[in-house]
Amino acid sequence: MTRDVEKRLKEVEKLNHAAGGDAKPNALWSYEGAVPFADSAVQRYRLGNGLRVLVLVDKSAPVFSYMTWFNVGSRHEKPGKTGLAHLFEHLMFNETEAFKAGEFDRKLEENGAESNAATWVDWTYYYENLPSDRLALAVKLESERMARLVLREPQVASEKEVVANERRYRVEDDVEGAANELLYKTAFTKHPYQWPTIGWMSDILGFTPEDCAAFYRTFYAPNNATVVIVGDVRESDVLAKVSAGYGALEASTLPVEDTHPEPPQGAERRESIKKPTTTEKIMLGYRGPALGDADHATLSVLNEVLFGGRASRMHRALVIDEEIASDLRGWVSTFRDPGLYEMYVSARAGHGTDDIERVLAAQLAKVKESPVTDEELARAKARLELGVLQGLDTANGKAEQIGFYEMVLGDPAAAFRRLDAYRRAGPGDLMRVARRYLVDTERTVVRILPEAS
Amino acid sequence: MSAAKIALSGGGVLYVEESHAVPLVSIAVSFRIGATSDPQGKDGLARITTRMIRRGCPGLTSQQVDAEIDRLGAEMSVDVSASHLTIHTQVIKRSLGAWVDLLVRLFGGPTFAEDELARLRRETAAEIIEARDSDRALAHLAFRRAIFAGHPYARSAVGTARSVESITVADVRGAFERTCTRGNLVLGFAGDVTAEEATRLGERFTAALREGPAHKDDVPEPAPLAGRKLVFVDKPERTQTQVLIGALGTWPHDPDHVPFSVACSVLGGTFTSRLMREVRSKRGWSYGAYARLAIERHRQSFSMWTFPAATDTAACLELELGMLRDFVEKGVTPRETTFMKKFLGRSHAFDIDTATKRLHQSLDVDLLGLPADYYDGYVGHVEAVTPDAANASIGARLSPDNLRIVVVGTKEDLFDKVKEKIPDLAQADVVPFDAE
Repeated sequence: MTRDVEKRLKEVEKLNHAAGGDAKPNALWSYEGAVPFADSAVQRYRLGNGLRVLVLVDKSAPVFSYMTWFNVGSRHEKPGKTGLAHLFEHLMFNETEAFKAGEFDRKLEENGAESNAATWVDWTYYYENLPSDRLALAVKLESERMARLVLREPQVASEKEVVANERRYRVEDDVEGAANELLYKTAFTKHPYQWPTIGWMSDILGFTPEDCAAFYRTFYAPNNATVVIVGDVRESDVLAKVSAGYGALEASTLPVEDTHPEPPQGAERRESIKKPTTTEKIMLGYRGPALGDADHATLSVLNEVLFGGRASRMHRALVIDEEIASDLRGWVSTFRDPGLYEMYVSARAGHGTDDIERVLAAQLAKVKESPVTDEELARAKARLELGVLQGLDTANGKAEQIGFYEMVLGDPAAAFRRLDAYRRAGPGDLMRVARRYLVDTERTVVRILPEAS
Repeated sequence: MSAAKIALSGGGVLYVEESHAVPLVSIAVSFRIGATSDPQGKDGLARITTRMIRRGCPGLTSQQVDAEIDRLGAEMSVDVSASHLTIHTQVIKRSLGAWVDLLVRLFGGPTFAEDELARLRRETAAEIIEARDSDRALAHLAFRRAIFAGHPYARSAVGTARSVESITVADVRGAFERTCTRGNLVLGFAGDVTAEEATRLGERFTAALREGPAHKDDVPEPAPLAGRKLVFVDKPERTQTQVLIGALGTWPHDPDHVPFSVACSVLGGTFTSRLMREVRSKRGWSYGAYARLAIERHRQSFSMWTFPAATDTAACLELELGMLRDFVEKGVTPRETTFMKKFLGRSHAFDIDTATKRLHQSLDVDLLGLPADYYDGYVGHVEAVTPDAANASIGARLSPDNLRIVVVGTKEDLFDKVKEKIPDLAQADVVPFDAE
């Protein structure tokens, strides 16, 4: 046992002892070890009620980031109730038993906080970035809304309207947003990734306070949450305050997830939509690996070769050589279950998606037929490394990396393991994943056409 | 604390902000000339010129430069504002020396090949068309033109299809020679670099530039607005609109600049601000509702921005106009002022929590001609604001009768309804979203 581990076990023992013999088991700590993270380490703790706490002390600025990740996203919803996880992202800033409507945000703001939240297919998280002397406030606010949210008709009705407007902003009146929604709806027939995280409009407008209360009771509980704290804090202070704030909360009985895996596609699927846009666009989704699949990092390297920056193959072919595209990108979905390898290209005026598809097909055939060059591979790896480092610039950035990888992979330092995997990828690996995943019968194509056409 | 400031040979200046937390170095290469210096009819020249710098130099083609940037683990982007331009770069520490060598080659003798310029012109024309898909971009472009009609700030840094098409290699070379001089240079290093190392690299970079004086700012003050004018950007099938309401705003040397900033934050600077509370929290009309003050070397704009559902647009506009009148006539309360001072003072920690943010504050002070203690003394300046000072600044800077209002929506559905909600409207223009 290392000295650091011994020190932390003693600290936990001391805290549990100080809590007294009458302390509820929910409030007692266990230390679950350290995970190396860059030149430091993430410390893992767990409260008796199941709340996981990950701490990374970082004194580079007198601030800290406090993130609460819940293991609930749109994948946990049911047809007819889509968008509920995202609606909660809004409702959680409303009234609680201790704080009247609006008071939660006022408390944060008057203490100088940056705060926000995000919901996606696999998870939801909330964060506050605060000056380093405000840890108690973060614990008080987050433990309060984890267990004592008030869900009344006026708040639910108002937030439904806000979310409906967010949907108009991000989907209805956004060409790429609408196409992306159609892509997933078409590509997935069984798995919950088929519906959008923001939810279908009819579902959003139909939510009742009772729907919200049931969802809250089920998923917002300490044993379904991970608190990530990064910044200028003392671990002993974190443990004492978190135990005091959350120790009285009860664990919930979490439902067994009832998700159907997506069956093999077997044939290409095609859809098109008309939008008030001036140029044609195309979105393709090939069946991709889950984030935890060993192929994910390799396919991400291939994506950099194809779509990463001006020197990438697709940029060179579509924008520089043929001059038929104005915007393009590729992305391997970072989901817990297998998702899509998405590609998006916007054609220039006077060119159609047929031209784009021809070039895409030729470039994709090339990476299946012959290895990428060592120079291309080195460039792709350097770009990916730059991206990883950029994510570590702030306490908030580190907390997001830690929380995301903990939620999806159960490993808070997976960003560095992925970096190692990028470095290991060779030309043959890229050719193999290209052949495995760039299969036309396992893809979905969405074309966006200008309304006048 | 300001970044270290170091004089460079030939009149340039270097700022260094050191932090060894992450093995990355940011380098900002700025010059004291921006979009307002583009010759008439050549809007977009500064941006095109800056983008051309990476498109070839002796011994390297455009594509080889792109590949070299990636190989080094670097990235490079261009930002052209009204008064200055900046090439933002970031590189993995191990490649810092090689990265500066590449910058020296690019700035020391860009090729400016005719075929590369022709390609970039076509790319830019395509981007201008692509930008029509963004209602938000359409709204902000129309707003700037409405607020600064006839003034250089109305001009677009991107340019128009026609102005970009007219740009020649001679234009680009001339702009480069005027712009990228030692006297115009404001260079910044932030991150995993020492002041000594940055100075050595900065001098190496400076040596690649030609001699030349600093550009003299000759932009006139924008004229005050008179009356209420509406610009309606007509785009089909909008289920949601973009609404901007505004006027001239503030100049950082105004004696009431900080009080006015505090007051505007009360109106729409935070999630619990008046606009957010009334438009979003109470009515659910818009996902966001903001008031903002932009700053530049000269007076910039005050704006209120919402994006309500088309069915709520007229009512939302009416509410906002009423709130603005109330803001001007009644001002902010002592409680609101105290609250906002707490927020601005305490959240300042997040304006300076990375080396790159601190560097950019120093660059802003220099490039925008801000008061020397604009950021360093920020917390103290905010703390000194009184409710009376905040209210005096609102009365001095804003008039609810002299406004520019921009709506991006579908004319057939909304134009008349919007006009009805704007009393004393002096002028209403409709602009097709794809007019240029």
